[in-house]
Amino acid sequence: MLIETQAQTQSPPVVRTLTYAEALREAMRQAMHSDPSVFLMGEDIGVYGGAFGVTAGLIDEFGPERVRDTPISEATIAGACAGAALTGMHPVGEIQFMDFVTLSMEQLVLQAAKVRFMFGGKASVPMVLRMPAGSGTGAAAQHSESLESLFVHIPGLKVVMPSSPYDAKGLLLSSIYDGNPVIFVEHKLLYKTSGPVPEEMYRVPLSQTNLVRQGGDLTLVATSIMVPRALEAAGVLSQEGIQVEILDPRTLSPLDDHPIIDSVIKTGRALIVHEAPQTGGFGGEVAARIAGSRAFDYLEAPVRRLAGLDIPIPYNRNLERHTVPQVEDIVAEARRLARGEY
Amino acid sequence: MTDELVEEMYILTDDRARELLDMLGKEKALQVLEAMVTIRAFEEKAEELYSLGKTHGTMHLSIGQEATALGASSAVRSGYDYLLNHHRGHGHCLAWGGEAGKMMAEFMGKETGYCRGRGGSMHIADVARNNLGANGIVAGGIPMAAGVGLSIRMRGTDQVCLVIFGDGAANTGPFHESLNMASIWNLPVIFLCENNQFAMSMPVPRAFNIERISRRASAYGIPGVTVDGNDFLAVYEVVSTAAERARAGQGPTLVESLTYRWRGHSRSDRQVYRTRQEVKEWQARDPINRFADRLQKAGLLSAELQESIRASATQGIEDALAFAEASPEPDLATILEGVYAD
Amino acid sequence: MARTVIMPRFGMTQEEATIVRWIKKEGDRVENGDPICEVTTDKINMEVEAPADGVLAGVRFAEGETVAVTEAIAYILAEGERLPVGETSGEPPATPQPESLKTPSEAQPPDRAIKATPLARRMASAEQVDLAALQGSGRDGRVTRQDIERHLSGRGAPSPDSGKVRASPAARRLARQAGVELDGVAGSGAGGRVQGRDVQAVLAARSEQAAPFHLKTPSSEEEGVQAAAGETLQPVVIPLEGMRRTIARRMQASWQTIPHILFSLDIDMSQAIAMRAQFNLRYGGGKPAVSLSAVLVKACAAALRQHPVLNSYFHEEQILRLPAVNVGVAVALEDGLIVPVVRRADEKGLVAIGQEVADLSGRARQGSLQPQDVVDGTFTLSNLGMFGVDHFTAILNPPQVAILAVGRVAKRFAPDEAGLPVLRSMMTVTLSVDHRAVDGAEAARFLNTLRGILETAGVQWG
Repeated sequence: MLIETQAQTQSPPVVRTLTYAEALREAMRQAMHSDPSVFLMGEDIGVYGGAFGVTAGLIDEFGPERVRDTPISEATIAGACAGAALTGMHPVGEIQFMDFVTLSMEQLVLQAAKVRFMFGGKASVPMVLRMPAGSGTGAAAQHSESLESLFVHIPGLKVVMPSSPYDAKGLLLSSIYDGNPVIFVEHKLLYKTSGPVPEEMYRVPLSQTNLVRQGGDLTLVATSIMVPRALEAAGVLSQEGIQVEILDPRTLSPLDDHPIIDSVIKTGRALIVHEAPQTGGFGGEVAARIAGSRAFDYLEAPVRRLAGLDIPIPYNRNLERHTVPQVEDIVAEARRLARGEY
Repeated sequence: MTDELVEEMYILTDDRARELLDMLGKEKALQVLEAMVTIRAFEEKAEELYSLGKTHGTMHLSIGQEATALGASSAVRSGYDYLLNHHRGHGHCLAWGGEAGKMMAEFMGKETGYCRGRGGSMHIADVARNNLGANGIVAGGIPMAAGVGLSIRMRGTDQVCLVIFGDGAANTGPFHESLNMASIWNLPVIFLCENNQFAMSMPVPRAFNIERISRRASAYGIPGVTVDGNDFLAVYEVVSTAAERARAGQGPTLVESLTYRWRGHSRSDRQVYRTRQEVKEWQARDPINRFADRLQKAGLLSAELQESIRASATQGIEDALAFAEASPEPDLATILEGVYAD
Repeated sequence: MARTVIMPRFGMTQEEATIVRWIKKEGDRVENGDPICEVTTDKINMEVEAPADGVLAGVRFAEGETVAVTEAIAYILAEGERLPVGETSGEPPATPQPESLKTPSEAQPPDRAIKATPLARRMASAEQVDLAALQGSGRDGRVTRQDIERHLSGRGAPSPDSGKVRASPAARRLARQAGVELDGVAGSGAGGRVQGRDVQAVLAARSEQAAPFHLKTPSSEEEGVQAAAGETLQPVVIPLEGMRRTIARRMQASWQTIPHILFSLDIDMSQAIAMRAQFNLRYGGGKPAVSLSAVLVKACAAALRQHPVLNSYFHEEQILRLPAVNVGVAVALEDGLIVPVVRRADEKGLVAIGQEVADLSGRARQGSLQPQDVVDGTFTLSNLGMFGVDHFTAILNPPQVAILAVGRVAKRFAPDEAGLPVLRSMMTVTLSVDHRAVDGAEAARFLNTLRGILETAGVQWG
């Protein structure tokens, strides 16, 4: 079977590579250059450059008014973004670690998400709240969470999770101009990964699931860091004659499920991989959509999920690693599914 | 000017009151009176409708608090400046120039209501006139007000943001975050704490260990002042001063307006936490009567004129009700509208 | 106490009924006797009536669901009543059956602690199967007929999913589309699950053998034929449902499981026809008062009285000699057939039978038969004479053990006593019997009795 990697095929002619963090920074820089209503706010995003350096240098370019350091006030970071967005601005807030967004929940869930609907569609909240999620840094239970499914459950919010530098830039630009509150979930371990990123202000549409790799034996739906891991696993499996088709939803909510369903109709097998704990996770939603769709009649095996253990992220390096799916776990699970062991 | 406001109970002298009336002029003063009478009539009608089962859900009445609504709204430029208010917000919306018909329609869940029947009594917003809505969450509007203030500053207009919240809100975390943020950024926000003596059943003396909530302002390095909230002119004077400070780039002010909620917290409140005697004492300080007395003493209001104002307000509410009752229900086919901006 | 609405039983062998539609919805006020839902059983649609005044509540089955008889389907609540707590877990009370048709085994008290369908209980009792040893595959773990049958067929105590073919949804779809029975397909998936490829392998093997019919696709060169392409070559798929499905299922089961033996006989109908003419003259003013079918019902009933072996059920490895002679008359409909029953035909006169047959067949064609009209038949008469058929054979209608197929009455030359050809009104009948219950000699004796009755028919039949 012909194997084709599609992640790059959608990009215009590639001229350079950037890291994921650089791609995000470029998106923000270009947006601020072209539109004075775009500004950044968050903890330590100014001279410090953000906890992960994503906004490094932007304060020099745009000054402290538009690259605004905030006190440690997560509720009001979220709420002030909503208030500014309601009155003509395009704020891009940063929550230093996704874990801390729990302190912003009321403003996000009860205000930003609801205002438009509650006011009969007569207001809009064009804001983005960026936040790094994920484990693998030894930061333990309160700095390693993957909480995206909390927001997927809230109508009115959009949830975006880029897995590559190309998508990071294109999705962030789309999010800034989407007109809705967007929870933009980055992954700490992806910040330093590199990939082709065009210089122009291109946008990757929200709610458009990406076919990352074609294959006929198994459909693998992966989010965020699990996408590169799935690609690596697919390479291993390819040697064994198992061709994995990889789909990356990129926008978890509202989810574009048609490509997933079409793929499962083709392969008859589905595996969903994410880092967040399995129970109540996004994978359950994908599995339910597959099972509830016309793809059901094409299933050759149970829909499987491979996700984080249902525990907080442990500190110990080995325990931490085994809490979330790694490449070898994906290889093993996909192999079992493709070989008919389920 | 700052010095005058800090930690003081603002006392309006009779001389100053006459000056203020002169400044307002007869026409404006009578409009204020009619607006207060209209609020009272609106809420009494709402209460009646609720009792008759013509509306559902809950309802929070501000009868007895009309002077605060009018005093604050008259001190800023409603429709140009911004308003965020709280769940007991019918009076604020009407004082801001809201149309009783659209409010009544919202109340009855009609498509012609301010929020197309999606918000109801607790979420009435008049976005077109910069009324960013009543909020069902205690302190919910405060962080957004900081954002609105930030937006005003960044857009460089001379608008101000008036945010009205209750005494209960002053004990939440977002209150602290937002006043601090508004202070450090010098935001043009008037934080108006409408102290009606009870957070549902919790009396202020049991919830605060300070006599004046306005004293909290000192913690953020901003002026704080307490005012007789049942005296239209006093509220008008204090909020005008705060608005001037905001427009002059001197930052936020915390105003505490002392008033009293005549009715229960909501329609289901049995009011076991207070005595009839206490309610009667406050009813003797009826804000409408007090303002009418001032007007009579100043020779601006005759008994006949007062009666005609009352009749006109009552008729206005009847017209509003007729409009609401004749209005269509929302079409079920539109149920999904307004969740996301396109 | 809330009144339970159960799925009523309408006949001895009826195991289940399917809810066609709910006439009343939850919360609707109903009066005793109001129809609350329409159900379909084997061959007939009927209405379930409210057993009390009150409000319909706790509807337990949706339209389209098939429910075992005596199962609770809903409740009627009086003012202030609530649904029984945990109502779904309880075993609904079994409806007592008519004394006359009760099987002997039912006298034993069933074990109420074990969940089982009423039929399963009866079967278990008859076969001395310990219900406790079985794992139920039905709702809430109820032991069902299938579980008992599986047990009896020697597969032993089943695991929760034994007896069901394990197949992937894809395999099921392919099998459904191609009409492949999954039972026979070897599964190559985990735990022997039938995969899509397994069904495809079966289909491939099939097509290598002679295809049952071949759909010719016109080549693009064949002009003129092309115009018809896509119009005439695609078969119209008619899903097997409703009455068609019932007939298909019952006839297939009957033909496959019952050893049929067949006997034909010619009967001289001259006397019977003359008698019928007399009756029509006397009771119908010249118009038909009694049909030939009525005459045959009367004759069969009289013959069955003399040969009770043929008036039996073969049911669950038992022969049940039946106390009443209830003759069913097959009536052809547009889209199937239905067999209304003349009850106690042996005790009725010809005129009464004539009226009843006319009434039943008329209502059968209008679709207004009541459940009691089509149940409890003990013998079936199938007359295709009006279609010009000389003779044919019929498949038994289980648990009945005999059915008579009647051809047309035609003038045929037959030798008289002197051996000279005489024109007579002759009719050929063919009797099918279940050889498990009836032997050939008894069947032959019955036919001769029948012939004697018809050839000596007279006014005494009235």
